[in-house]
Amino acid sequence: MILSLAWKNIWRSKRRSFVVMSAVAIGVWSIIFMVSFYNSMIGAISRNSLQHDYSHIQIHHESYLSEPGLGFQVKKPSMLMKFPSQISDIEAVSARLIVNGMVASPKTNLGIQVYAIDPADERAVTALSGFLTAGDYFTNIKRNPILLSQKLAEKLKVKVRSKVVITVQDLEANIRAGAFRVSGIFHSKSPRINNGVIYVRHEDLSKLINLPDTAFNEFAYLLKDNESLIETKQMMEAKTNNLVRTYREIAPEFDMIEESSTISKQVITVIVMLALLFGIINTMLMAVLERTKEIGMLRAIGMFKSKIFFMIVLETFMISWVAAPMGLMAGFLTNLYFEKNGGLDLSQYAGALEQYGGDAIFYPVIAQSTYFFLMLAVMMTALIGAIYPAIKAVNLKPLEAIRKL
Amino acid sequence: MKVIELKNLSKIYNPDTIPVRAINDVTLSVEEGEFTAIVGPSGCGKTTLLNMIGGLDISSEGSVDIGGVSINEMSESELTTFRLQHIGFVFQAYNLIPVLTAKENIEFIMVLQNRDAKTMQERSDDLLDRMGIKDQRDRRPSELSGGQQQRVAVARALASRPKFVLADEPTANLDSGSTEALLDTMAKLNKEEKITFIFSTHDQRVIDRAKRIIKLVDGEIVSDEPR
Repeated sequence: MILSLAWKNIWRSKRRSFVVMSAVAIGVWSIIFMVSFYNSMIGAISRNSLQHDYSHIQIHHESYLSEPGLGFQVKKPSMLMKFPSQISDIEAVSARLIVNGMVASPKTNLGIQVYAIDPADERAVTALSGFLTAGDYFTNIKRNPILLSQKLAEKLKVKVRSKVVITVQDLEANIRAGAFRVSGIFHSKSPRINNGVIYVRHEDLSKLINLPDTAFNEFAYLLKDNESLIETKQMMEAKTNNLVRTYREIAPEFDMIEESSTISKQVITVIVMLALLFGIINTMLMAVLERTKEIGMLRAIGMFKSKIFFMIVLETFMISWVAAPMGLMAGFLTNLYFEKNGGLDLSQYAGALEQYGGDAIFYPVIAQSTYFFLMLAVMMTALIGAIYPAIKAVNLKPLEAIRKL
Repeated sequence: MKVIELKNLSKIYNPDTIPVRAINDVTLSVEEGEFTAIVGPSGCGKTTLLNMIGGLDISSEGSVDIGGVSINEMSESELTTFRLQHIGFVFQAYNLIPVLTAKENIEFIMVLQNRDAKTMQERSDDLLDRMGIKDQRDRRPSELSGGQQQRVAVARALASRPKFVLADEPTANLDSGSTEALLDTMAKLNKEEKITFIFSTHDQRVIDRAKRIIKLVDGEIVSDEPR
């Protein structure tokens, strides 16, 4: 009957209960929305950097990091090319020869990094061909085709089929220059690539700087999924004496972004829960105040303090039990709506988002465990929020309480 | 058999500042089956005396024995248990739980006593019947008249099978008809089942029906007469 009494007590002041329930539901909904939004944003940044830039794992010569350039090429490249057939978790590999240089158009010149690649392999790893906004993927120009970003094309004032000159140093530090023609213009999701990387065919660059077609200083591997990252890295390390690094080691900012995102989500959750906490305390204090006389009567006729405490806590729990699932459902439906209707379009902020490697359209991402966690957090908040009003209730002196008007 | 025994009972408010003696050296006993009214002008100490008998207030001096057990030295928790098991309370303002029906209000005290569902059902049906409010069983207090609410309150007080019932001005908020009906019911219960009732009142209709009248003036018993 105490359960029934607690439930009925909630509905004594329908408006007040509705307000606090709405606050809990809106709070839960807002957390789900914000967490989904954050997950989507961070996920996009990570995914874009991973797919368009770093890949899951890269292999370099062990001294390459201290002196990047042509001097330290990877050892036994033919063996590294065979990893996808030897390690089942590897999806694709792209061997690159990376060299710093200059690109010059009739209008201007820019410092850039030249990525000499095998177009088919690179497409499999970074999906580069999918980002073309103009031109073709190395096929429309027979001799010395080049791909560059929209941003670089605008700076150089070139378009498809325009001629540019690339100047690089060979292994003996001799300046070598070659004429290339723009085959395609792309727009990558990686700001680093957009700002300063151009792609040429490996055979064209190696010819220009007089290197064999087995000369590479970077191998990039795309895995089938992220779960096997460490395991695959260890397997690779066992097979080669080159330097093997995961994208987290290459770009520690991934960890920082994810950590800051986690902290942000936690802060938002704590702020919302604090707001709910004070709302719950206020509501339950009002409820206790309104029932002072009745609680006094209950104490007088022999209701133990513990049962009164339990009753108040139960009422608070019930409010949350009703409201939290409503908020969870609203959050779930909101996410479902955006999933089914092309995501949340923030194209008007696309420029700013691209600076961070994010997408302009957000598809809500949330782990199922978040729903469980939120339910638990609301229950904990309700419990904490119930304690003070419940203590106030049990500390009422029966005689004084009965006399209250 | 003595149900209540008070010895040299006093209640002094503000003992450290301006002491006010609300009850002064009261000694009395109440036998099982009595129908007693404590009367006197407002502020004479009727309610204070009732509260001390009911273990809701603590005496400054003297002792309160209920059924041979002294309640003076009991802890708060022991007093709560004692009230639940041995004392029935009827309040002037009924003090029913507004969200529960008449039947649920009566059963609630038995829930606190951890009685089984069948016992509660039988007891509440019986009391509703004897109080003449059986057809009001599923109504909430707000749907009942003052007299009906007070009958529910009496039924609730009796539901726990107490040693006695303390009723503080039970008819103060009732009209003549309801007062008479309530008094009839309580007198019948007293006569047929030997239930002990102790009222504080200055309602002449209650005084006229009482079998013993204890008159208090300024916290002291000035007369104690059986009728």
